[in-house]
Amino acid sequence: MTTATVAGTAARNERMEQFVYDDAIVRLFLLATLVWGLVGMLVGIVIALQLANPVFNFGLPWISFGRLRPLHTNAVIFAFAGNAIFMGVYYSTQRLLKARMWSDLLSRLHFWGWQAIIVSAALTLPLGITQSKEYAELEWPIDIAIALVWVIFAVNVFGTIARRRERHLYVAIWFYISTLVAIAVLHIFNNLVVVAGPFKSYSIYAGVQDAFMQWWYGHNAVAFFLTTPFLGMMYYFMPKAADRPIFSYRLSILHFWTLVFIYIWAGPHHLHYTALPAWASTLGMLFSVMLWMPSWGGMVNGLLTLRGAWHKVTEDPVLKFFVVAITFYGMSTFEGPLLSIKSVNALSHYTDWTIAHVHGGALGWVGFMVFGMVYWLLPRLFQTELWSKRLAELHFWIATVGILLYIVAIYAAGLTQGLMWRAFDETGRLAYPDFIETTVRLLPMYWVRVLGGVLYIAGMILCGVNALMTWRRGPARYAEPVHEAPGLRPMTVEAEPGGFKHAAWHRRWEGLPLTFSVWVGVAVVTASLFEIVPMFLIGSNVPTIRSVHPYTPLELAGRDIYVAEGCNNCHSQMIRPIRAETMRYGEYSKPGEFVYDHPFLWGSRRIGPDLARVGGKYPDLWHVRHMEDPRSTTPQSIMPAYPWLARTPVKWSAVERGVAAQASLGVPYTREQVAGAADLARAQGKQIAAAIAQQGGPAGLEETELVALVAYLQRLGIDIKKSPSVAAAATGGEGIGR
Amino acid sequence: MKLSDVMSAMHFNLFAQIALVIALVGFAAVVVSVFLARNREPFRRASLMPLAEDRPAGTPGGRA
Repeated sequence: MTTATVAGTAARNERMEQFVYDDAIVRLFLLATLVWGLVGMLVGIVIALQLANPVFNFGLPWISFGRLRPLHTNAVIFAFAGNAIFMGVYYSTQRLLKARMWSDLLSRLHFWGWQAIIVSAALTLPLGITQSKEYAELEWPIDIAIALVWVIFAVNVFGTIARRRERHLYVAIWFYISTLVAIAVLHIFNNLVVVAGPFKSYSIYAGVQDAFMQWWYGHNAVAFFLTTPFLGMMYYFMPKAADRPIFSYRLSILHFWTLVFIYIWAGPHHLHYTALPAWASTLGMLFSVMLWMPSWGGMVNGLLTLRGAWHKVTEDPVLKFFVVAITFYGMSTFEGPLLSIKSVNALSHYTDWTIAHVHGGALGWVGFMVFGMVYWLLPRLFQTELWSKRLAELHFWIATVGILLYIVAIYAAGLTQGLMWRAFDETGRLAYPDFIETTVRLLPMYWVRVLGGVLYIAGMILCGVNALMTWRRGPARYAEPVHEAPGLRPMTVEAEPGGFKHAAWHRRWEGLPLTFSVWVGVAVVTASLFEIVPMFLIGSNVPTIRSVHPYTPLELAGRDIYVAEGCNNCHSQMIRPIRAETMRYGEYSKPGEFVYDHPFLWGSRRIGPDLARVGGKYPDLWHVRHMEDPRSTTPQSIMPAYPWLARTPVKWSAVERGVAAQASLGVPYTREQVAGAADLARAQGKQIAAAIAQQGGPAGLEETELVALVAYLQRLGIDIKKSPSVAAAATGGEGIGR
Repeated sequence: MKLSDVMSAMHFNLFAQIALVIALVGFAAVVVSVFLARNREPFRRASLMPLAEDRPAGTPGGRA
């Protein structure tokens, strides 16, 4: 077929062009994938150990769980998976388009810019510099750098498409285009902030709207960063590895368009039973259930590509990795819609079930796709035999066992949590009223997770050794074969032979990449607007509560510390209207309680208890003792100690900038409050420090971060209790809910 | 009067339901288009694209 195609093409076009593929950039991204994968997963092992035993926090701020967890997620998603995407895209795009990348300079700028961003993340997150939004933690200067590097990537890909020598854009390229367009839109709109310092900003959205935007982003980051580019690569590398075409090209088209149309709507399923309006939540659930259809279509398409070639799987580690990856894709995309069903989500939300689901996708689907591609690419990029096929086989089996140990343990942990939290005794009271009872029950499973993670990373090390040795035995200078293909003539569908003569509207789009990209963008943006516009502009979505007031300057400073320490990684601030929750935590959360929360801090899991109504529950001194040594107040707690908070002074200039920035967002601070923010904060700090000393605690805490954090915690859930009737006074028509 | 007043009064709870219908119609259109008999051959040709590229000379091919 190859010969026939080339011959046919040559016959209809006399102008042959010669070109060389840029594989050096692919080699760079491959090596970066392995290096950052190792780093990201090592951090994962550290935080898994910290959950099993808090002694692994070592009392050091830079490696405490709350700061490291975002580093782990960012490293694995954007460093490991990100570099792998660029590796696969740069390799396959050039070959599918029969063109070298548009600009070598842009390729290098893309590579080094992305690595600089990763290093910036690795430096800032352990320092507590974070926006707090999951998978969007990086602060505004790095966000700007991400946008710039993404534009460089997009220009390079679209430039390559523009000078391609192949008319038809293969389906993998469509998936890449959707990634380029959607990630740009998601990144920009979720990271709109007001700057409050060189490394500090506040989301322009508040409370319910901020939560909505975050999970619109968060869910679609999974969709368009961890799914669509990998599907594109599946549609390229799976046929290559199996040496046969994809099972059904028609199915791949359906797969593509249904994902693009449906995925973007599903974000609100992350917020079931929260203060998000029910209509948005239901919409998210409906579209999530609809996702079953294309996702399983894609999985079937991938697996059936091996029809008649299953015998190859037994002897080829590349196919083994691909088959298991696609199977995990099917499993994850079955489980995702399942978890989006409200009644299931009521059990699973905030538990480790979600963590197991995410790791099935990340370790199984993404990780194994990456390893399959790496093993397929190594001999081709380094122009020699793979150093050890047996080592690759060993990697496969170790990693497979590692994933299974990890997810089985964490599924068990998640179900245990969910069932224990909602269990009642025969008298109708909570069967396990102390949160710690559940935590203690999970510890054995957390140790099994550590074991699973160690096995997975051991496989990763084997992969690294194999890559290194293959690299070493490669030639000193890589050959750069010259390829030849006819140049692309202006588009006339009649010129295409065979079936292309009857080109339908879809193939015209494929020949017009700009039009195609615009339609992908329209699909993504339109779907988003259908949810975003009503969410922001219908006043009844966020009924205001008269007794809810802005945070004092010291409370705001404490909130910033809560964000910096990553407390939201373990504690939610959102009580759902479910009996087990209201009995455990108090009155369920109302949308109007969060109108001054830039950003929202609802959290997504409960390693510790919910804090929405913790204000006033304990005396100030309890919080001081708890932060110094959590085991002194809760003997079996797995929370890290925060001894440095009592030693670190509050940065008063940052308090002033913070209040001014919040005021610019519409938080009703008076001019006097803005101008005198530091003085007001100092005065409140003295009061709280005096109370702590009076209760028998240490003296001299008035200017420390600890007092600011106590001020914030003691404020949580207080406002709603001020109103005797706790009645929401819906003002209606106040678009931002004030 | 604010924009949010207008939006609130327009009962946009129908908004999302209309969108759902539009999405389903769009999906149906793609399904019909994809399964038209006349598209069979073009799609078959397109599916062969990953396999149609030249292997660089001097490198091992088809091997894991």
